[in-house]
Amino acid sequence: MENSLFSKPRDLFLDIVNPKDYVQIDSVSHIYQSLKSSVQKPLKMILLFGKPGTGKSMLLHKLHHDLSKNQKVLMFDIPIVDEYDFLRVLAQRIFGHAPREEMTLTRFLEIAEAVSYSEVPIVLLDEAQLYSASLMEKIRLISDARAIKFVITLHKTDKEDVIAKEHFQTRIWESIELQNATAEELKVYIQKKLLKSNCFDVANMFNDKNMKLIASLTKGNYRETNKLLFSLFSLYYWYEENNPTLIKYNALKSKWIEMAAIHTGLIRA
Amino acid sequence: MLDIRNLERRWIKYKIKSYAPHIVSAIIVTIMVVLLPFIWSDSKENRSIPETTSLISSTPKATPTAKVLNEESSTVLEPSMDFVQSFQPSTPITQTVATVPQKIEKTSLTEIAPIPTLETVSSKGSGSFALNRNGSKLDIENIERRFKETSNPSLGLFIARYYYDHGNYNEAYNFSLKTNTLNSKMDESWIIFAKSLFKLGKIEQAKKTLQVYISESNSESARSLLESIERGDIK
Repeated sequence: MENSLFSKPRDLFLDIVNPKDYVQIDSVSHIYQSLKSSVQKPLKMILLFGKPGTGKSMLLHKLHHDLSKNQKVLMFDIPIVDEYDFLRVLAQRIFGHAPREEMTLTRFLEIAEAVSYSEVPIVLLDEAQLYSASLMEKIRLISDARAIKFVITLHKTDKEDVIAKEHFQTRIWESIELQNATAEELKVYIQKKLLKSNCFDVANMFNDKNMKLIASLTKGNYRETNKLLFSLFSLYYWYEENNPTLIKYNALKSKWIEMAAIHTGLIRA
Repeated sequence: MLDIRNLERRWIKYKIKSYAPHIVSAIIVTIMVVLLPFIWSDSKENRSIPETTSLISSTPKATPTAKVLNEESSTVLEPSMDFVQSFQPSTPITQTVATVPQKIEKTSLTEIAPIPTLETVSSKGSGSFALNRNGSKLDIENIERRFKETSNPSLGLFIARYYYDHGNYNEAYNFSLKTNTLNSKMDESWIIFAKSLFKLGKIEQAKKTLQVYISESNSESARSLLESIERGDIK
């Protein structure tokens, strides 16, 4: 359906991580600034942790987007679990060295020592909980040698496992925790996202009651909110096409929000 | 692709499920509100049962009263003494109750009627009727037994009064003496004691007893009795 009021908002809330979609919310902005300043410090490793959907990946992508303009930054959003592959890809993309032989840690450190940068290269590792303990140990040794600075993200549930290990406890100089959004922050997030894409009419449909319901359903989780709103605008899109008289443009229908929540699994019915 | 119809059905199910506890609570509250007056009235009725029982049990008490009231219209009531079993130690014996033994004199004590019942109600012309109630010797024996067991001065007084009314002044003397020993503040017991002495011919002793008692209690009835003895009004 062309000229649909709801197709654009629907696509806005597709659950994909794009630094351009980064929405500046006070608390997240504060965390991001903190992360950015931490990266500038001579730290070996920075840990970014939080529950799934709290915006870790988005922050990491945003950091990558912003830092890559001025310095060597490598982003691993999909973990490479094989140790040798990991080291080989790292050597190739950071130092531009692609050895034919199998890449060992010793060989990697030799290459890192041979190639010197004015600023230590930064590697961003998303979903670090997927890396093996052995590989994490190698990552620690690399950061200890100050060959590369690592920023890693992991789920909060895994934090204790990783942090508890002695070698990480001593090496991680800074850890930043991300929290779920409050109802007010969630409202700002949705409104800003819609207004950024000039969806003024749809942005005006969100009232406090709607936001309260959305926040209670998603518990302030950004990923769940994106999924819920994608389903919600898909519903609106359908009604706009099939039964437009049911749509009220002054507020969102609680019934349809709940239907969207049922569709996304937030409500079990 | 969204299956809107299916989603709407699931949403209705969800709403029913989410409202179910509220609906059930509302129904329970409504039922409670509707049933509360009935439950309340039932409990009130249950509470009223003992009252009815006490009324029934007090009927014999009322009988002599009725007798006194109806004496002028030639009503004859002859109460049983079974009701005495319901006496409590603290229950005061009223003058109305004191009239009971007088009518027992007219009652045949040979018939046994353990439960007080109206045995005959016979009409004696217009506006008059006779109500006969038979007591039993067992009654007074039973009371004596209970008096021995409980040493209740009220029972002692009752027995003394019974024997005095029946002309058995020796027993009246004995039981009033026992009663006075148990409770020296029972006016009537002292009166019966003194009257029994008088009836037994111990007039001086009766006077002396009354004088001592009057000095202790300042009892008007004792003083009145003493004056009657001194004047010779009493026979």
